[in-house]
Amino acid sequence: MVLMNAKFMRSVFALLAVSALSWAGCQKDDDTPPTNETELITTVILNFTAPGGSVSSFKFSDTDGIGGNPPVAEDITLAANTTYQLDIEFKDESNASDVKDITKEVREEAEKHLICFAASGVLDIPVTLDTDADGAPLGLETELTTGQAGNGTLTIVLKHEPDKGAANPCNTGETDVQAEFDVVVQ
Amino acid sequence: MKKGLLLKWQWFLVLALSGQVLQAQSRCDITLKGKVVDAHTQEPVAFANVAIQGSNIGAMADENGVYAIDSICEGVYIIVCSHVNCDHAEHQVVLTEDTQKDFVLEQHGIFIEEVVVKGKAELLKATGAGGTLDASRLGSERGLSLGDAIEKLPGVTVLNTGSTIAKPVIQGLHSNRVLLLNNGVRQEGQQWGNEHAPEIDPFLADKATVIKGAGSVRYGADAIGGVILVEPRPLREKQGIGGELNLQGLSNGRTGLVSGMLEGRLSDKIPVSGRIQGTAKRGGNLQTPNYYLDNTGVEELNFSWALGMKKENWNTELFFSRFYTRLGIFSGAHIGNLTDLMNAIGRERPLQDGAFSYELGRPQQRIYHELFKWKGALETGEKGTLQLQLARQFNRRQEYDAHRPYGNLPDNFDEPQIEFEITTHTAELSWEHNPIRRLRGTIGAHFMQQANTTDRGALIPNYENYTAGAFWIERWKNYPSPLEVEAGLRYDYQWMDVGIQGQDTINRQLDFSNLSGTVGAIYRFPKLVELRFNIGTAWRAPNVNELFSDGVHHGAASFETGDPNMRPERAYNNSLTIELDDKDKLNATLNFFYNVIDDFIFLEPQPQPVLTIRGAFPAFRYAQSDARLMGLDWQLAYELMPALQVESQASLLNAWNRSRKEYLSLMPPAQFEHALRYSFGEGEKGKNAPYLRLAMINVLEQTRVPEGTDYAPPPPGHTRFKLEGGAQFRLSGQPLEVSLAVFNLFNTSYRQYLNRFRYFADETGRNVSVHLRVPFGKEGVKK
Repeated sequence: MVLMNAKFMRSVFALLAVSALSWAGCQKDDDTPPTNETELITTVILNFTAPGGSVSSFKFSDTDGIGGNPPVAEDITLAANTTYQLDIEFKDESNASDVKDITKEVREEAEKHLICFAASGVLDIPVTLDTDADGAPLGLETELTTGQAGNGTLTIVLKHEPDKGAANPCNTGETDVQAEFDVVVQ
Repeated sequence: MKKGLLLKWQWFLVLALSGQVLQAQSRCDITLKGKVVDAHTQEPVAFANVAIQGSNIGAMADENGVYAIDSICEGVYIIVCSHVNCDHAEHQVVLTEDTQKDFVLEQHGIFIEEVVVKGKAELLKATGAGGTLDASRLGSERGLSLGDAIEKLPGVTVLNTGSTIAKPVIQGLHSNRVLLLNNGVRQEGQQWGNEHAPEIDPFLADKATVIKGAGSVRYGADAIGGVILVEPRPLREKQGIGGELNLQGLSNGRTGLVSGMLEGRLSDKIPVSGRIQGTAKRGGNLQTPNYYLDNTGVEELNFSWALGMKKENWNTELFFSRFYTRLGIFSGAHIGNLTDLMNAIGRERPLQDGAFSYELGRPQQRIYHELFKWKGALETGEKGTLQLQLARQFNRRQEYDAHRPYGNLPDNFDEPQIEFEITTHTAELSWEHNPIRRLRGTIGAHFMQQANTTDRGALIPNYENYTAGAFWIERWKNYPSPLEVEAGLRYDYQWMDVGIQGQDTINRQLDFSNLSGTVGAIYRFPKLVELRFNIGTAWRAPNVNELFSDGVHHGAASFETGDPNMRPERAYNNSLTIELDDKDKLNATLNFFYNVIDDFIFLEPQPQPVLTIRGAFPAFRYAQSDARLMGLDWQLAYELMPALQVESQASLLNAWNRSRKEYLSLMPPAQFEHALRYSFGEGEKGKNAPYLRLAMINVLEQTRVPEGTDYAPPPPGHTRFKLEGGAQFRLSGQPLEVSLAVFNLFNTSYRQYLNRFRYFADETGRNVSVHLRVPFGKEGVKK
């Protein structure tokens, strides 16, 4: 009986010690500002390369993140009856002194990403040229052919983990970016 | 002397009455006798009253604690023993022959309001509505979650986020409106979120008590919905070592669970008791009748210890518990914006069909909670008992989105998007005075200091919160008078210092203060009927998320904004409970409630969506309105035949926004459960006999919803079945307890209105649970 009690007490004290250890070091310094939500794409840049090689870029950005000021989009002006090469860039510009290029990440994880397009007015949707390792479309490099002059809109959607095998892959996955531009074709 | 005379007078009456009423009985010459002793000293308690409840038959013990009641007829009786310095104690006896029954009375109840009668403790009954579940009634649902286990009480439902997160709802209210006490300490985590489940090991709970409504002055002002008390097993009172081992397996998710407890007490000379307890659980992807739910596994690892010492006039206790869980959030529920949400709702079944896997991917939650407390009680002479409790809690919540953060290559799976840490210190001082004439009461004070750090994300700010409160409760009781009255008053003051939120500095100080109060009464008719009535008022200061929320609520695809000028809520609660108990075949409780809440805080949809780089998000703003919640809960058990019992219970609620003249959203629909319980063989009133129970759970469609504020209409009603059974036996001397439960017996496909993932997937399908409990120890263990 005495032996058992001693054993019992010993294990109790061992446990006390263990939980005292696990308990220490939890008090947090309150003054460190929290990091912003890290999953951040603030900027979409569309680079249109004309047949002659001249590049014009248009930007959609929301540098203060979700909430606060609404996003700002530049109006796109394109020439009629022209085939442009359209390259898309994604950036994190939340910290002006440390701008991050997210495009590389999207390309590296091409199987998990898909860029979808929607167009209205005189515009047709661009044709996707690039593919991921499985041969499924990605959408960072595309070709856009304009027709007659007029107005329209072009919407870029970046999907995360879409089901590329689905009948309509653009209806699947999680939307990371949805940027709508007004377009004038002259 | 005076008492003796009174008793003699009663005696005559008794004889006269018993002769008439109990004429039909065959035998009326039984003598019940015994001794009344003190629980600690084993000394006889002189001049205690022993009486048969519901009659005037009784006797007073002599100076040696010996009593005798004779000429009792055969039957089942509740014998009540009472003494001026103790609370009364009840014991059920079956009288067929002369019987000896000893009573052990706990003088000046060292545990608050608790009396020990050999193996049975009786709490002073609350005047409001509520109920208690012991370990056996918490049942197989403990293997699911604490929320699921206490949903068995009428009026209690759950708010789910998928199938891995369950949060208790009392009569339509939850989160910060429901106070959870874990072993006497206010649980302080991030309760404000709908997807934040209580951080308590369900196997630590030996008993769970729910107090409905705003009547609980004792525990804090903000509990306008009610209080849930989760209590571990009391420390061992007998010398020796004991414990139990629980093994549980659940088919859905192929979940396995092991929980063990070891307890001991040194000796009567050195009255030191200790207990260690731990639970480990692992489950994989859950399954609906038609498909797997991708990424719905869970891992849990909890442990606790307690150490206590109990002397004649003082006692002290240390308690530590640690809770850790990692749980997967159904991946089909993760969406980017409103378009994604509408696409998901439009789908017949989720995209990710999934297969079985134990692997936990993103999105997931990791939650850590620890509690360390010290409690001491000291008898202050003849006057009463002084109690002090100090506690520290630490809670860390990490939420991982479907996506690991951009811009942080290479693989950094371990980086959450949201991380909150909250540390809370509480102190509670109370003094329970011994009866002064017919009054018993407690006066106390409560202090709390709390600091929240948002390490990642900017949904809520950093803040510090200081609370001080004082309460006074008195109860008038003059046994055996049928009336019992209780009244209580409480004052609270809260000061809050709000600091940084994301990149912004808020730097605001807020303070709130007000009174809460309650008046209640119990009236016991001589037979069958007991009435309980309670009126209470309480208030709740707006919570930090209601004041300062600013951001996208992931999974809900909504942009939520707080309002820093929010006023506190004020609730007025009326509750009437009718209890019918014939001590034999019938037991029924009926509870009507009518609650008015002024300045009720809720999320109001805004006409203009918020435009972001991720697309449009519907905007919600925290708003205030006057609300009214009324309803009816019932619970009924009736013995049809000696072995067959029929049970029924219901939770009905009507929640109305008085200002906007519309229903409140996200309120539980009407829910019924009807069951048949069959016992094989005898046991103490069939309690320990093997049994089978078949329950039909019927949930109606929620039709009381505000128009045009939801993405999809509430799901249709459904009926599902549950089969339970259990048996106790001995295997070569070793007692064993086996319970079996089949949830969703017929594998019904259904969705629940109060599940936030009802847009995306069905509820889980059939789930077979087998639970083995092995008690061990020096002597028979479980009382």
